[in-house]
Amino acid sequence: MSKNFKLINFFFFIILISLAEFFISNSFTLEPDEVLQNQKLEQRARNISKNIRCMVCQNQSIDDSSAPLARDMRILIRDKIKNGDKDIEIYNFLTERYGDFILLKPKLKFNTLALWFLPFIFFLLGVFVVFKKNKKIT
Amino acid sequence: MIKTQLNKIPLILFLIIVFIFFYLLIIDRNPADIPSALLNKKAPEFKTESLLKNEIFLSENQFDGQITVVNFFATWCKPCRDEHKYIQRFSNNTKIRVIGINFKDDSEKTIKWLKKYGNPYSDIATDKNGLIAIDWGVYGIPETFILNSKGIIKFRHVGPITKKIYNKIDLVIKKIR
Repeated sequence: MSKNFKLINFFFFIILISLAEFFISNSFTLEPDEVLQNQKLEQRARNISKNIRCMVCQNQSIDDSSAPLARDMRILIRDKIKNGDKDIEIYNFLTERYGDFILLKPKLKFNTLALWFLPFIFFLLGVFVVFKKNKKIT
Repeated sequence: MIKTQLNKIPLILFLIIVFIFFYLLIIDRNPADIPSALLNKKAPEFKTESLLKNEIFLSENQFDGQITVVNFFATWCKPCRDEHKYIQRFSNNTKIRVIGINFKDDSEKTIKWLKKYGNPYSDIATDKNGLIAIDWGVYGIPETFILNSKGIIKFRHVGPITKKIYNKIDLVIKKIR
């Protein structure tokens, strides 16, 4: 077997694994009876679910999680969308009960300023240090 | 002189960050234990079937006028069985009302379970689809809430009640009485 053929096989294997992962992560957790018939409404539900933290697993969104609480929340979000609730109303409903921690993308508030801006400050600090060191060398 | 002091800033910052992380690592805390967003707020109201009485369970009639322990439980939940003796201890205190919320459970099984292990609850609300639990910000049963006599949530505990937690809740009850 030539070296090139082995390499092609290896890449083919990687692509297969990636595709499997893609389809598993996109279809495994969401059960058929949960999906809304109206595609626009379903897309809204998916977008909200992707930004809501599963409070059981904590490092996954409810869209990715197979925990029973995540399923209950997905159903609740879809029910609220069907009842005509706006996205902001659904987010407010959940944060009033679970706090801002339930949002995977935290709101920009006074107590989250450090969270949002510290990375930029550290980046600028790093650029400053590198710039200073380079200047010294030259 | 000033230049050499400025050069030390990144090192000082680094040491402060290391110190903060080290401190968070050694103190007695559970990162998964998040305070309830409903603390010091009125307990969410709901209407559902009562498991013990042949009537509708109206939360507004149950949470006022007395300190109330609200316990989310299920027969399929092993930690609920473990904490049951502490729930019973609360019910021995006549000044406390103990309400159960039966989470996604089979009613017949629950009645049998209560006959076997004892019933500490003055009434039990059924939460067949888990929506009451979401309304209360519950994320894993057992979960226990302490309400003051005005129906305001003063304490929440996630997980089974142990001796240590029982004593903690006892102190909270004495404080809010």
